[in-house]
This record gives sequence, structure tokens and C-alpha cells, in this order.
Amino acid sequence: MFEAQEVNAEHKDLIHDVAYDFYGRRMATCSSDQFVKVWDQNSEGKWILSSSWKAHSGSVWKVTWAHPEFGQVLATCSFDRTAAIWEEIGNIGPNDRGVRHWVRRANLVDSRTSVTDARFCPRWLGLQLATCSAEGIVRIYEAPDIMNLSQWTLQHEVQCRLPLSCLSWNPTMSKMHPPMLAVGSDDQVAANGGKVFIYEYSENSRRWVKLETIGTITDAVHDIAFSPNLGREYHILAVASKDVRIINLVPVENEETLQTGVTKLDVQTVAQFDDHSSLVWRVCWNLTGTVLSSSGDDGLVRLFKMNYINSWKPVAVLKGDTPQTKDSEQRTTSSSSNNGNVISPLSQTARYIKLGTISQPRDVPWH
Amino acid sequence: MATFFVQQEGPVNALALNRDNTQVAIGGRNVFKVYAIEDDRFREVCNVRGSKHLNSNFSCNDVSWNPVDDHYLATATTNGHVCVWNLSKMGKAMQEQDYQDHGRTVNKVNFHAAEPNRLISGSQDGTMRYFDIRVKSAVAVFYSNTESVRDVQFSPHNPYTFSAVSDNGSVQLWDIRKSEKCMLQYTAHSGPVFACDWHPECAWLATASRDKTIKVWDLTNRPTLDYTIHTIASIGHVKWRPQRKFHITSCALVIDCSINIWDIRRPYIPFASFNEHKDIASRLAFKGDPHVFLSSGRDCTLYQHSFNDASRPASKANPQGITMNQKGEIVFARKVPVLPSSSSNNNSNTSSSLAKATVGFMRKISTSQAIDQFHLAASALTSFRLSCDVTDDTEQQFAALAKNYMLHGRSVSELCERNSAVAREFGKPHISVIWKIVKTMYGEEFRQNSSVNSTNREEVSLQSQKNSTAAGIESNLNNVRDMEADQKSKGGGDQSAQYSGGDDETENEDQVDHSSIYTNGFPTYLNFRNDLPKGDFSFGENELDMELETINSNYPSSYHRGGFNSTDCPDWILPSEAFPIRTDITDRSPQPEQFTNHHSPDISEEPHSFQVEEQGSAKLTIVKPLERQPWQPGRILVEALKHHAILGDIQTATCILIVLGDCRKCLPNELLDESLQEHWLLGYIELLTRHQLWTSATQVINLSWLSSIHQLNQQSTRISTNCAACRRPLLRVGWLCDRCHCAKYSACSVCERPVRGLYAWCQGCSHGGHPNHVKKWIKERGVCPTGCGHQCEYR
Repeated sequence: MFEAQEVNAEHKDLIHDVAYDFYGRRMATCSSDQFVKVWDQNSEGKWILSSSWKAHSGSVWKVTWAHPEFGQVLATCSFDRTAAIWEEIGNIGPNDRGVRHWVRRANLVDSRTSVTDARFCPRWLGLQLATCSAEGIVRIYEAPDIMNLSQWTLQHEVQCRLPLSCLSWNPTMSKMHPPMLAVGSDDQVAANGGKVFIYEYSENSRRWVKLETIGTITDAVHDIAFSPNLGREYHILAVASKDVRIINLVPVENEETLQTGVTKLDVQTVAQFDDHSSLVWRVCWNLTGTVLSSSGDDGLVRLFKMNYINSWKPVAVLKGDTPQTKDSEQRTTSSSSNNGNVISPLSQTARYIKLGTISQPRDVPWH
Repeated sequence: MATFFVQQEGPVNALALNRDNTQVAIGGRNVFKVYAIEDDRFREVCNVRGSKHLNSNFSCNDVSWNPVDDHYLATATTNGHVCVWNLSKMGKAMQEQDYQDHGRTVNKVNFHAAEPNRLISGSQDGTMRYFDIRVKSAVAVFYSNTESVRDVQFSPHNPYTFSAVSDNGSVQLWDIRKSEKCMLQYTAHSGPVFACDWHPECAWLATASRDKTIKVWDLTNRPTLDYTIHTIASIGHVKWRPQRKFHITSCALVIDCSINIWDIRRPYIPFASFNEHKDIASRLAFKGDPHVFLSSGRDCTLYQHSFNDASRPASKANPQGITMNQKGEIVFARKVPVLPSSSSNNNSNTSSSLAKATVGFMRKISTSQAIDQFHLAASALTSFRLSCDVTDDTEQQFAALAKNYMLHGRSVSELCERNSAVAREFGKPHISVIWKIVKTMYGEEFRQNSSVNSTNREEVSLQSQKNSTAAGIESNLNNVRDMEADQKSKGGGDQSAQYSGGDDETENEDQVDHSSIYTNGFPTYLNFRNDLPKGDFSFGENELDMELETINSNYPSSYHRGGFNSTDCPDWILPSEAFPIRTDITDRSPQPEQFTNHHSPDISEEPHSFQVEEQGSAKLTIVKPLERQPWQPGRILVEALKHHAILGDIQTATCILIVLGDCRKCLPNELLDESLQEHWLLGYIELLTRHQLWTSATQVINLSWLSSIHQLNQQSTRISTNCAACRRPLLRVGWLCDRCHCAKYSACSVCERPVRGLYAWCQGCSHGGHPNHVKKWIKERGVCPTGCGHQCEYR
């Protein structure tokens, strides 16, 4: 059901991150070649390069979009120890209408080591940016005036003792929950304990407090993602480590939490998939938090879905190499007979020889 | 080889290894020592500064160890002297020569590699001086004609050539025999060049500059720039790594305390990085072995580094990226292995076999990080799109439902009916059933009936039909969840199959007026109810009519069959389950007290329906005593809605809540408190916004019963127009400019009369007027009517 389209990104080194914008119409890529590229999808669904610029003087690790109510705003973070805020500027002159370019609005230089992740907060918290760095510090910046993107104040510095690799805001849009962050560490030493930390902003003490260290994950964590929460009373966290983990964080209410105002979480690992049988690098949720995609060193994208009894199952495997993409469709229904693979062979324009077929013996995901 | 260090009294500016790499001399403002390098530590051999005769000759910028005669050291001092030290002597006699030729600080001093007595120095005064250590003063002076010389290096390839780099960004090559003019000069950098290093094998010269680049020049013929490395800070020192042709080591001058080793073929990310220093590293020297080197730092340390302790930034780098949008489309970037030899080979046959051969190879190196593969980094970006032949994907369904659901303006049952029909049309039969159930639970006519119908025998037949329908529906309620899971997991795609998968009896078609969309829009049994007035089922918006018609033509038979004739089962069938249906409904005794999720089907029957059930099933007679017990379906409904919310179907949950209107008050508050309601509403609004369904989102905000959400529509609704003359925003009133004190500029630009009511206004030039005037004008002429030259647009 999926059609694979090869995009010739023409980055000169590894691409470290891709990000859809809020509406899923634009895409930003960042690479070790220190460039950030922004792509627009045309009516036929092809990606057209819209802008490309040298953003940093080191590898650009992550790129992320702000909510469009703040404008077309990107944040990037880099090996060069900085994070940067970019805004797209359109010229409204009579002659150069439609000419757009990106300008750097701010450069956040507080880190003394590589900034490994930068994420904008959920929209209802205003315009905040959280960054984490290899020195183990989470920094939270805020633009007090959303019309002035060049002014960012460092609001909080949260010390973790391990080098950090990724962070995720809890996107739950409810007043029930104070702002929450999860950070992951790619520290390799298992003896250093849990590699995923949950922080929450405490209104009483006006600082971020650690709620939980997820002790069951002692391997290096490469990516972490809170599930979009549109109506659940608990939070779901996906962790990319040696395997894919799905963790439910259920707020517990008792007298103690009511007194202190600090949330207590019941941590339940609800799923653990080693389908990649290799390191898992990224995890990503769909919009409603029902489908989790993960990618690993096997070069495949795997999709996981929660079924009706709230248990997670692998549902599909996507291969990027071959122009034909196989979608091992769900076996839950026998009537899904129209799985005709009407996939047009695509011109393979990539300039490099690709890993042809990684044939995992267990591409059939359903047990 | 281990990593170890020794602490010094002050910052160390320079270090030099002796010929055999067994001893190291370090120098700084307060430090001048010689250490022997042992296996796991440095042993102090000599502290030159320890003698009591101290003068500024002891503070040095650079140290060089005679590569032939192990006794001689040369230092470049901060006071402009070049000193030669004989380590075999003691005390004051150690200092054999003290050249005072330079006028300013000497930056660099270097012994010739082959001739033990020859020495070159470069200074801040812009000159280079060539010394013979047996002679009391400089043998030759080279004027660079630049402000200052930062580095001088003898070429390892030509005994007479040396290179010099200077503050103005230029590189000079000199012949030591010709001091009047340099052999070659070119501008290498846009900022001061701080260091240069000759490649030990090729005719390459690496230069490092404040412009944050390291450049590699091929000097075989004319200087050509072969490689450029962009670093994160100004580079103060570079050194080629021995026995590794493409590796070069750099120390930054500011910010970056780490020592980076680069593969010049991959100029973006260091091959290895050494982070031991707490302050910037000043110099480094390899101990002959490519895996061990020494470095000195401003943090007052001398380190020996081992490659085993290097960090590899590239291995920590994320080689993949993945992102999903609201359609479920995925863009995926991943590292792809590259073979340099085969990159030109585009033959598909050979490439695939090559690629296969690569698999095993790459696997191996991915664990061991083979050095030779380091620079071969490339990513492929793949965009997974839902193929076009999938007509009813979930995104379209979501949008269609959002657009067509009717959320207010009618009675609850009418809204439920309508929404049920809508859901069915757009391929969500299970959602449709849920709407039906909500109707059964909360529809006005049922609540009415429950008080009257116990004696109303003439309605029994009708009721029986109706209730058996309801029972049919509800008996499927426990399957509904299974259905949903199936439906969603299928991601659409086979809904049409389901339609056609129903049984083929289509006798009802004859009873239905084909042209009447209303009968299709609403279940037919509403029309033959006789105790309720027929509503005029108008659809608020015309768009539904259109869509209904198209649906009509698409699925004529299945659609009419789905007209909810009471004898007809719902028009969807259960797909064969991948998991067993847990409970069989007839096996259970109905116990209203059990409000568990899975038992919800049988208790969701309303009291008034019992007489009907009596006819059908003797087992159900036992519920009769409960007839009068007021039954609240709220708990079940809330649990069902929560289930939907957990499954991500916030649309259904929120829409049902909205449609329920005042009935929401009946819902048990302990299960569904306001914050959760708010959460759902916000979630749905967010989802609508993501799909750019602004109208629906606004409607939901408008219908919201929570003030916090209702306010969303009232925020930042004011837009100030600009004064056409001074272009300042009109903050107070829309027609009078406080600065120009005149209202004439806000008049219509076309008819020049004041505008009342709608005002069309160009944000570009601040001119505007009556909408129809402006529209006509722009359509005809395309420029602003005031003649300001702005090409206004009217859309």
C-alpha cells in the first residue's frame, strides 16, 4: 500500500534527521555536511527543494519545526555546540514576490559540547525550546516575545549525569499534566543504570524535577518519542535502543502526590520488539499515536500498531532500497484481498550502489 | 598504550619530541621541562627553569628538538629571542646561544630535518630568520612583507624549501638560499593563518586559519586547493597523522578543547576526537606510531593520548531519520554503504551483485569501524507515499467525517441518525453503529417512550422490529471493538469489499425511492414511525447531497440494502477474526450490576424493550423485575468513548460528546471529568487543525461547553488596518489616524467616499475601499487604484 519514492537529497554526507512540518506538506532535512534543506511537496507528491543553506560549522544533528502560528520557524542543533533558530522570510516587494529565504534569528551557544537534540515545546506552552547536549545538560530556552525570535532566554538548566542523545516533550494538551520531558542517554556503560529520564516542571518549586529513571533500559538510547496524546489518561513513550520499547507512563494519584503536587508515574513496559535484530536508531509516531514506526541498522522501517485489546503488534515492514515496496499487510482480516501491488517501478536515480536486499528471514511479522 | 598526563605549574604552549620519541620537552610561560616517556607515566628528567638564573628567555612560545643531535633544543621566546639549549651541560652553560635578532615575539622555531645545525624562526615582526647554531647571529633574514609570521615549516621533500604562513592569510614558499624574494606566495585564507604542516609523503601543505577552515593544498605545480575541512572554531595547530595518508589532527585556538583527527575526504565530522583536555590544546606530536600522540594544553597538562580512548563522533551520530505526517506517509533517511570503485558502475545487474557482496562486508565493518570505510558516508532519502489507488485512506475518512458530521441544531437522535449515516457512507460502519447505539441510549424519542410505551400495545410490532434491530446492533457491540481494530489496522482499502461482502438480498431496494437521498441519508424506519412527526431531514449544507449522490451511484445496491430495515442485519459483516470473539452473547445471564466493558452489550438495553425481548428469548424474562430500575447507560458510554480515545479515534469520542449536548450531565463525572473532556476537545481541535479543516475546528470550538476552549475563538481576533498616508496601524478606530488627524485616507480608494460595512484592504500598500469597487478595479487593471504602483491582489 506504500509507494516508495527516492528523493535525491544531494546531501554530501549522512542525513541525520528529517522532519515534516505541522501540516505534513513541507520537510526539512539536515546532514553532516552542515547544510539544512527544506523541501516542498508539489501537487504530484514530488519533493521539490525549496531552500538549502549552510546552517552550522559542524554536523547538524537534528532539525525540528515550530508550530506554524509562530511562523515558518526551524530549530537546528549541531556538533558545533550550538543550536540555532531559523525563520523563513518572504519578500513582499512587487518584483520578487515568492522569493523566500531562511535567516538565522538566534544562536544558542551555552553548551560546551555537541548539542544532540533540540525540540520545540507543545504549542500551548508558548515558544520554548529544549536542547540536550553530550555533557548531560538539558537546557530550556524561551522566547518571551513570540514576535521577536532573536531573543531567547535560558530559563532552566537541568543536570543529568550521563551524556544525552535525545529528548522528547510530552505533547499531552491537557491542564491535568504539567509540562513533561523525557531525555535519553547514549551512554554505553550498562552499569551506569537507566538511560531514560522523565522530568516534570514543578509549578511549586519553579524548576524541573526528575520524576523517574527508567531502570529497565540500560543500553544506549538513540531516540525517544512521546506518543501524541489526544485523549488518553496515560502517556506512551517509545524508546529506540537495542530494541524498540513501548512504555506506558500512568500517573498515579494518591495523597502524597496531591500534597506535593509532584506526579508519580507507574512505569509499565508494554512492548519490546527486537524485530530489527540490530540497533534501533529512530522511533516516530503518527499523528494520533496509534502507529509507531521505527528504523534500525537493518535498513528497514517497521510499523507497530496497538490492537483492540491494547497490545502492540508489528504490522508492516517497509524497505527503502528496492523501488518496489513490500507492505506485509495485516493478517487480521481475510477479506483484505485487494493487496494488488500496483506499484510503478520508479526510476532509481540515486548515484550510489545501494544495499540491494537485506533479506531478514522473518519479514513475516505476524506470529 | 595508555592515556596519562602530568600536571604543570602553568599553561604549556609547546612541546617537542626527541629523535627516538623517548623524551619530550615542554615549554610555556612558566614551564620548561624535559620528561622521559615511560609506559604509563612521564618521568621528569630535567627542569630547565629550576635553576636560579631566571630571565624571560625561559618563557617560550615554541620548542624544537634537534632531530639529529639529541642534545640540542631550540626555543622561541616571548621576548623575541631564539635560544639554543645544550642538554648535556648544566646550569647557566645550558643556554648555548641567545639570538636577539627578532624585534617582537617569536612564534615558531624549527630545526632542519637533516642538517643538525640549521634552524629557522618566524616572528611577530614579520620576518623569518635562518640560524646556524655555531654562529652568533642569523645567517639569513627573510622579509615576509606581512604583519607577522605565525608558522614556518621546512619541507620534508626538498631540503631548501620552507613554508611560512602569516596573519594576512597568505602562504609563502621560500628557498633558504634566496632571501630576497619568496618562490611562491598565494592567499590561502580569509583570516590569519595560524599553522601549516607538510604532508610527510605527498606534496601537500595543510594550512589552518581563524576562518574556521583547514585547507589542504597540492603544491606539485601551481597551488591547488584539494580539500577543505570546516571546523567549529579557529584552528591553532595542525599535524598530519603518520602512516595515514588522509588523516590530519587539529587543535582549536578557542572554544573547542578537544583534539580532532579528520579524514580529509570526509571534511564534516572528525574521524576521532580526544576530549581529555579541560582547556584548549596548544600542540601535539605523534610518537612515530599513528595510534599514540602527546599533547600539551592551556590547562597546564601534558598528555599522552591513545587511540583506544578516542571518542568517535561519527559513531554516535544518528545515521537515520524518520518522520510521519498526518496521512501516515513516512520519509525515511538512512545511511547507505558506498563502494568507491563501483560508484560509476550503473549496470543494474552488476550493481545488484555488488550490493549483495557489500552486505556481508558492511556488516562486518559496522561493528569494527574499519578506517578505510569511514569517509564513505552517504544517505538515501526515501519517501513512502500511500499509493494513489487507495481511495479511502484514513486521512480522507477523517476529513470527510469531520466535514459532514452534524454536531448541533437538531435533536440528539436526529444528529445521531445523520452522523450514523455519514459514518457509514464514508466506510466506517462500526462508527455508524456506535452512533446508533448512542441514539438508542440518549435519543429523545426513546426517553419519551420509556415512560409511555409500556401500555402502548399498538406499537409493539414496531418496537419489536426496532428493538430487535437494537438488539442486533448491541449484540454486535462486543464485536464492535474487534471490528474497529480490524478496520483501522486494515487502514481502509477493503471497505468496498465489505460492502459487497454482505448478503445479496436486495428486495428492499424496490421500496426505496432511488432519487430520494433523504431516505438514504436516514434509516428508513424513521420514516414509518407513526408516533413521531417526520422530521424534514434537511442537511444544513448542500455538500452532503452531492456526496450522497456520488455515493449512491457508487454503491447503489449495498447502500440501499443498508437502509436499516428492521429485518435486515446491519450491512456490514464480521470479517473473520484473527482473534477469538470472547463471549457469546446468548450464553450470559444479563446482570445489570456487572458494568464491565465486555458485558456492556446486554445491559445496554433500555427497560422499555423488555417486552420485545420476551418474545424473542425466554431467557431474558428474568430481567423483567428490573424493569423499573432506572438504568444509566452513561458508564458504558464513557467507557466506550475512552476506549476510542485510547485507540486514537478521538473524533468519535469528541463528536459524540458534543452531540449529546445536555445529556453530558448524565455521564458519571468521576469517570469523565472536565479535564478529560477538555483534553479530548483540544485533541480533536488539534487534529482538525493539522488537517487544515479550519471550519470544523472553529465549529467545535464554538460548540464547546468548556469556557477554556470556548475562549479560543475569542483570542487575537483584532487586526488593525494601516493609515494609507503614514502606514501606521490604526489602533483606536478603523478610520481615523491619530497622527494624520484625518479620516480621508481611510475612504474608498476608488470612489473616494467613506466606507461603511465591509472594507477590503491591501496589506501591502494599505489602500483599500468598498469590496466590490476594489474587486472590479483590481480585476480590470491589476494595480492599486491610488496609483501607488503596488500590484495588489484581490482574492
